[in-house]
Amino acid sequence: MRSARPTAAGAATLAWGLRLGLFVFCAFPLYWMVVSSFKASPELLASPPTFFPHEWELRAYRKLFYETNFWTYFQNTVVVAGLTTLLVLVAGTIGAYSLTRYRYPGRAAVARTMLLAYMFPPIILMVPLFLLARNLGLTNSRIGLALTYISFALPYALWILRAFFQSIPLDLEHAALIDGANRAQALLHVVAPLALPGMIATAIFTFIVAWNDFLFALVLIGVDELKTLPVGVNDFFHMAVVDWGLIMAAGVMVTIPALVFFIAVQRYLIAGWGAGGLKG
Amino acid sequence: MTVHAETLAVPGGRVSRGSREAWIGLGLLLPAAVLVFAFTLFPVGYNLWLGFQAKHALRPTTAWVGLENYVQILQDTDFWRSVWVGTVYAVWSTVLQIGTGVAGALILHRRFPGCDFLRGVALFPYMIPTVIAVFVWRWLMNDLYGVVPYILSALHIPGMPEAWLAHGTIMLVLIAVSVWTFFPFVLVNVLARLQTIPPELYDAARVDGASPLRQFVHVTLPQLRNVLLIVVLLRGIWMFTKFEVPWLLGFGGGAGEAIRTLPVFTYQRSFTYYQAGMGAALSNVMFALLLAVVTIYLVAFPPDVEEQDA
Repeated sequence: MRSARPTAAGAATLAWGLRLGLFVFCAFPLYWMVVSSFKASPELLASPPTFFPHEWELRAYRKLFYETNFWTYFQNTVVVAGLTTLLVLVAGTIGAYSLTRYRYPGRAAVARTMLLAYMFPPIILMVPLFLLARNLGLTNSRIGLALTYISFALPYALWILRAFFQSIPLDLEHAALIDGANRAQALLHVVAPLALPGMIATAIFTFIVAWNDFLFALVLIGVDELKTLPVGVNDFFHMAVVDWGLIMAAGVMVTIPALVFFIAVQRYLIAGWGAGGLKG
Repeated sequence: MTVHAETLAVPGGRVSRGSREAWIGLGLLLPAAVLVFAFTLFPVGYNLWLGFQAKHALRPTTAWVGLENYVQILQDTDFWRSVWVGTVYAVWSTVLQIGTGVAGALILHRRFPGCDFLRGVALFPYMIPTVIAVFVWRWLMNDLYGVVPYILSALHIPGMPEAWLAHGTIMLVLIAVSVWTFFPFVLVNVLARLQTIPPELYDAARVDGASPLRQFVHVTLPQLRNVLLIVVLLRGIWMFTKFEVPWLLGFGGGAGEAIRTLPVFTYQRSFTYYQAGMGAALSNVMFALLLAVVTIYLVAFPPDVEEQDA
C-alpha cells in the first residue's frame, strides 16, 4: 500500500508497452506484406530496407493479373469454397435439427463422434483419400476437392449448430406447429432465423477451411487450370527468379477475401469462437 | 398438419409415437453422416488395410506384404529422426503458443481505449491463410533482403546467424512462424474463459493482500485449468500433424531436412517416392503415436467434465 502511486503509474506504462508489443507482433508482418507488394523493384531489394515506401507502384499487381493464372486460381477457390459452404450449411442445418428435435438411439453418440472427428488430423487421411479419389475419378476435380472439405468441416458445423439449436426454445416451434405450419416451415421460418448467428459463424468457418487448405489441394489437383490459390500461388516460387513483390501482392489478394468476410461478421463470430474455434 | 406439436422431441417426452419420428430424424441426419463416414471414418479403416500393401501411388500395382512396411519403418533412421524433429517442433511451438496466447489474453482481458480494435488485430494472424503466413515469414527472414535480420543486425545483437533459413536455425524460424500463426486460437479460448471468472474472487484475494502475481497463480490459473488442458491437447495434436508450415518453409529453400517432421516425411514417401503403401503405414504409425500420447495425457490430466461444456 505504501508505494501504491508510483506502482500504479508504472503498471499503466507497462500495460501500454505490452499492448504495443502485441500490436506490433501481430500487425507488422501484415504491414510488411502490404508495403512490399507496392514497392518498386530496386526499393524492394534495397539495403537497408525502407519502412515506408518512397515510391508506390502497381507493377506486382499488374503482373499478377496479366501474366499469371491468378484469376483462374481465384475462381477455382471461390467455386470450391462456395460449394463446400453451401453443402455444409444444408447438411449441417438439417443434421443439427435432427440431433436436437428428434429422439432416436445413438443420438448422443453421434454428437460425441462429431467432436472426435473435429479433433482428427486430416494428414492421416492424405493417402487413403487420394487413392479413393483416384479410383472414383475425383482427382483433378473441384467437386472431389469440395467433398473432402465438406467432410472436414461438417463435424464442427454440426457441433456449433447443435449448440445453437439447443438454445432455441421449443415453445416457439410448438406455437408454429399448432398454427398449422409443417416441420419444414417451422425449421425455415422459426428455427433458422433464430439460429442465424450460428449459421453465419458456421458458414465463415467452413469457407475459411476451404479457402486456406493447402494439403488436399496439393494432393488431389494436378492440372494448373483447376488449382486453388494456396497451391497456385506456391508455384510462383518455381519461376526462374523469385519475384517477392509478386508473391506479396498475391498474399494481399488471397488474404483480403478471408479478412473482409471475417470483419463483416465479427460480431457473429464471437459466439462461434466461444464454442471452440476454427480447426487449424 | 399431420405432425402434432407433442411429437417434437422434448427431453423426457413421449416415446410411443417415436418410431416414425426416429426414422425422419435419422433421415435428416443421413446426408451429414454419409459424408463424414465416407470421407473420414471409412478412409481410416481403408488406411489400415493399405498399410499391409506395397502399392505405387500412381500405377495400379498392389501386393500384400504383411508387416513388411512396419518392419522397414522401425529400421529406418530417417523415420526416427522425423519423429524426433516433429516432437521438438510440436512441443516447443505448443508451449510457446500457450505462453503467448495466455499473455495476449491477459493483455486484452480488461477494457481500455482501443481494446476492440486490438482484439481484432490479434486475430489477424489466424485468419490469414497459413500458406500466405509462411510466405510472408520467408520474406521477413530472407537471407539477403529480410527486414528482421536487418533490424537484429542494426541493434547489434550478438550471436545472430548469417542466414536464418539455413540448417542450423530454420527450426527456430519454423517455431516462430507457427507461434505467430496459431497463438490466436489459444488467446481466443483463454480470453472467453477469463471473461467468465467472477470478479469477487479477485476482490477476496486483494483483501488478503495478494500481489498480482499471486492472484494470477492462485485465482486465474486454477480457473483456466480446464480450458488450458483442452487447448494444449488440441494444439499439440494439430502441431504434431501440421504439414504445410514445415513443407512450405523448408522445401522452397533447401534446408528442408532440418525440419522434416513426420507429416512431411510421410508426404515424401507417399508422393515423392510414390510408396503409397508405405505412406499409409506411416500415417497409421503417426495415428498410433498420437493415440498413445493422448491417452497418457488424458489419464494424467483428466478433464473436469462438469465444467468443460462451456
